[in-house]
Amino acid sequence: MKASHWVWLPVAVISTSAYATTYFTVEQAQRAIFPGASFTSMGQPNTWRTSNGGYFVVERVVGKHEYITVAIGINPNGTVKQIEIMDYRESYGYEVRDPSWRAQFVGKSASSPLQLGADIKNISGATLSSKHITDGVKRVLQNLRAKG
Amino acid sequence: MVGRICLRASRLSALRSRKKRGGGDASQTAKRIHARASRTGCAVALAAMFLMVGSAASAEESIFAFVYTTDLLPQGGKEVEQWITWRHQKNGGTYDQLEGRTEFEYGLASNLQAAVYLNYAWTQAYHNGPFGATTPPEQFADYMAGPDDFFNAKRFTGVSGELIYRILSPYTDGIGLALYTEPTIGKNFFELESKVILQKNYLDDLLTIAVNFTYAPEFRNVPSNDNPPVFNWQEETDINFGLAVSYRFIENWSAGFEFLNEREFNSFDFSHLSNSGYYLGPTIHFGGEHFFFTATALWQMPWATVHTDTVPGSLVNHLVLDNDFERFRFRLKAGYTF
Repeated sequence: MKASHWVWLPVAVISTSAYATTYFTVEQAQRAIFPGASFTSMGQPNTWRTSNGGYFVVERVVGKHEYITVAIGINPNGTVKQIEIMDYRESYGYEVRDPSWRAQFVGKSASSPLQLGADIKNISGATLSSKHITDGVKRVLQNLRAKG
Repeated sequence: MVGRICLRASRLSALRSRKKRGGGDASQTAKRIHARASRTGCAVALAAMFLMVGSAASAEESIFAFVYTTDLLPQGGKEVEQWITWRHQKNGGTYDQLEGRTEFEYGLASNLQAAVYLNYAWTQAYHNGPFGATTPPEQFADYMAGPDDFFNAKRFTGVSGELIYRILSPYTDGIGLALYTEPTIGKNFFELESKVILQKNYLDDLLTIAVNFTYAPEFRNVPSNDNPPVFNWQEETDINFGLAVSYRFIENWSAGFEFLNEREFNSFDFSHLSNSGYYLGPTIHFGGEHFFFTATALWQMPWATVHTDTVPGSLVNHLVLDNDFERFRFRLKAGYTF
């Protein structure tokens, strides 16, 4: 088979690459989670201190095909105030954006199990995404606790 | 899958070859030119097909082309898949086969998936078998061909059903485990394929390792050795092992390799081992929101040896080239979820 028959394959496929579905920009997510608050960068990427003593963190986790961007709001006492899905582009599992699923994280702390199937419900068809969002929230909480 | 069928086809072809050898050189040259032209046409058609599937929408599953994983559709999820498998080159002469499968999958539950396949094939073969005899490939084992014939045929090979039940998930249980069953029925053919599928993920689920064990007894109604007009049902069992590894190196794209060992027995009791072939090659996968494609190219490794029922002349340079073993195979799967 001549090579010329093959060269168009990647071109054809790349032309179909998934497009970004952004539900929140950083500023929109900050306003949604901490309305009226001001934000000060903590000198590290994607982490802000809020005017009321809380934290706002943007975490990127592995999805089935692409990364999922999650905004995590943390109260001054180290518990989760709210999370928002900023980007999600998978075939299934858009339920991760449902308020009822995200509400499971409210009040969780670095000491919480934060384990899929235990204190966080799995979403059929999006187990990998659900797991990585859960792991991502836990990782952020533990990192902040470690930094005092 | 081959067994006694290969034995029959190869021996019969070899016998005819000895009887008919010495036919006109001019006609053989014409047949070779015809074979070359058809092969080029086939290559162009295959390339065109890739372009067509490539231009579909945007992303999802089947991370490997030959080896299965435990990832299933969610309950109510639907997917259409198109497979094309190209098998190329035997002992000598020319040999090409294109096998198509059109599949519809449906998620019955979060851990149970069903599917229906339509299977069809086209082949051309010329002096491809033992002792230079034209030998129809396995999916055409009930067709007749003289040792110097240019064999060119297409057929609807059958309908398959599929059920996959996942017992453990690699994301929540540490390791994935699923059971698979696939009955296929066609003209002069029945097979029941069963698999145990294992999956283990590493590196934040970016690295996927899958292992398959396959047990597939089958019946084929083929012309008898002594009296070809009379057909006999013959039994065979395939025992296959598959290992595949893939790493998602950038968003939407993963790549790795697949390894297969396919064994064929001319019985249902694991006696009369006829063939054991080894295949290894690279795989690449693109998965997006609704569209995916996966392509794997496999070359047979020169690790084959003679077994009790190996057809004389079918083992060349430690490659087994009996009816459904070939030197090179390539599979493309493309799917759309909705």
